[in-house]
Amino acid sequence: MMTFVIELRKEKRTGVIALLLGVGILGAAYAFINFIVRKETLLNIPLAPMDVLLTQLYGMIMIMNMFAIIVAACMIYNIEFKGNALKKMYMLPINITSMYFSKFLIITVMFILAVALQNVALVQIGMTYLPQGAFELVTLITFAGYSFITSMPVLSFMLLVSSCFENMWFPLGIGVAGFLSGMALATSDIRLMLIHPFVVMLKPAVAMSAQPDMAVIIVSAMEIVLFLGAGLWMSKKLHYE
Amino acid sequence: MNYIITTEQLTKKYKNFISVNKVSLHIRKGSIYGFLGPNGAGKSTTMKILLGLTVPTKGSFTINGKQFPDDRLKILKEIGSFIESPSFYSNLTGRENLEIIRRILGLKKNSVEDALELVGLTEFGDRLAKKYSLGMKQRLGLAGALLGRPPILILDEPTNGLDPSGIHEIRNLIKSLPALYDCTILISSHMLSEIELIADDIGILNHGRILFEGTLDELRQNALQSGYAAENLEEVFLSMVEKDNTARKQRTKL
Repeated sequence: MMTFVIELRKEKRTGVIALLLGVGILGAAYAFINFIVRKETLLNIPLAPMDVLLTQLYGMIMIMNMFAIIVAACMIYNIEFKGNALKKMYMLPINITSMYFSKFLIITVMFILAVALQNVALVQIGMTYLPQGAFELVTLITFAGYSFITSMPVLSFMLLVSSCFENMWFPLGIGVAGFLSGMALATSDIRLMLIHPFVVMLKPAVAMSAQPDMAVIIVSAMEIVLFLGAGLWMSKKLHYE
Repeated sequence: MNYIITTEQLTKKYKNFISVNKVSLHIRKGSIYGFLGPNGAGKSTTMKILLGLTVPTKGSFTINGKQFPDDRLKILKEIGSFIESPSFYSNLTGRENLEIIRRILGLKKNSVEDALELVGLTEFGDRLAKKYSLGMKQRLGLAGALLGRPPILILDEPTNGLDPSGIHEIRNLIKSLPALYDCTILISSHMLSEIELIADDIGILNHGRILFEGTLDELRQNALQSGYAAENLEEVFLSMVEKDNTARKQRTKL
């Protein structure tokens, strides 16, 4: 807990917290404006109203979330490298592994808040604009959980990458490359492509149904454990030289 | 003798380069130990090993009876350190930077002001660290090392980047610390003239090897025996290093 509080204090003036909150608000605003402007077109798509609400708006929201995660992960480690602050941390009686985990928690908690803001907007849209009785809160909560868990591999991966490079442009470049290659591979039916964390995050956005894909959930959970575990192990075993 | 830091045959080898070669140091409790050597002699690497930043290839060391890696947190709690260049969060003010360190060390709130005052940075405490001059960053780094007045200080060329009056001020501060609160200081420099003014004991390092370890008086005696003018220790130091370099070259030729 103490390490988490210390990490939070380090985030002052970095913009990490504002960025993730901002993307939550922006995503919510996008959903509202898009649905109001394209209401007739969207509701005429031959899909169930809940599928329209969840899948047709998620694409853009997911891209915003993805870039927010990439940038937040880059910034949260950039402050450690910028003034050699990480070196000082290694010379202090602090557990570097718990420092890494606290950074992971900060981005995760802020991302949950962003997802919550976006889904509050979807609840409001669903209750206001969908045909009477078509809105299903359980389906929305299930899809929100599904989209959250499929986003976490990118978050774990980007934090791991950011912790490895002193120059912020490397992880940022890897993030952009991940996004572009993910976009190219997301529609593929080959299950092996799911090892690419960005493909996993894109899966709910390219699906036509709001029903979660169990295989994608299992792969997501495995990737979260793998990337987070690798980051924690590296922070424990690798020395600052 | 009551040694607080001892190293045994400490060695650090990189692929085809030995940075620290069988270094055995003996640092007395309550003393100022000057660690002297030209650039690249291995002073910083030795200090990094003592702080757990680098793992030694061979050898061992104890700090206040404790050993890495088992007692890492206990050791680091007792050491204030400053290695190579100041380390700070550029998005935070000087005071906020020290506050982070204070929380990690679990110290009282007033220790931040105490450290700022010791290094003469009180009035600039609320300025962002990235806007500090090099000298101010150096002072901030020193404040971070002095925070909570730790019993052991490891300072790697702490006066780098300071102007002459700053060097004088920091030198006097370092010299006064053992009397002020009973601490032991390991300080490195490549200038004997600077170390001579503050150190009780001296260790001279060249190409990773210890050439001399002892008190300043012993160094003077050593100089007289070798035919150097004892009052000019800088010359003694340079001659020692040069002699060692010549011997190394001859060994390489053979």
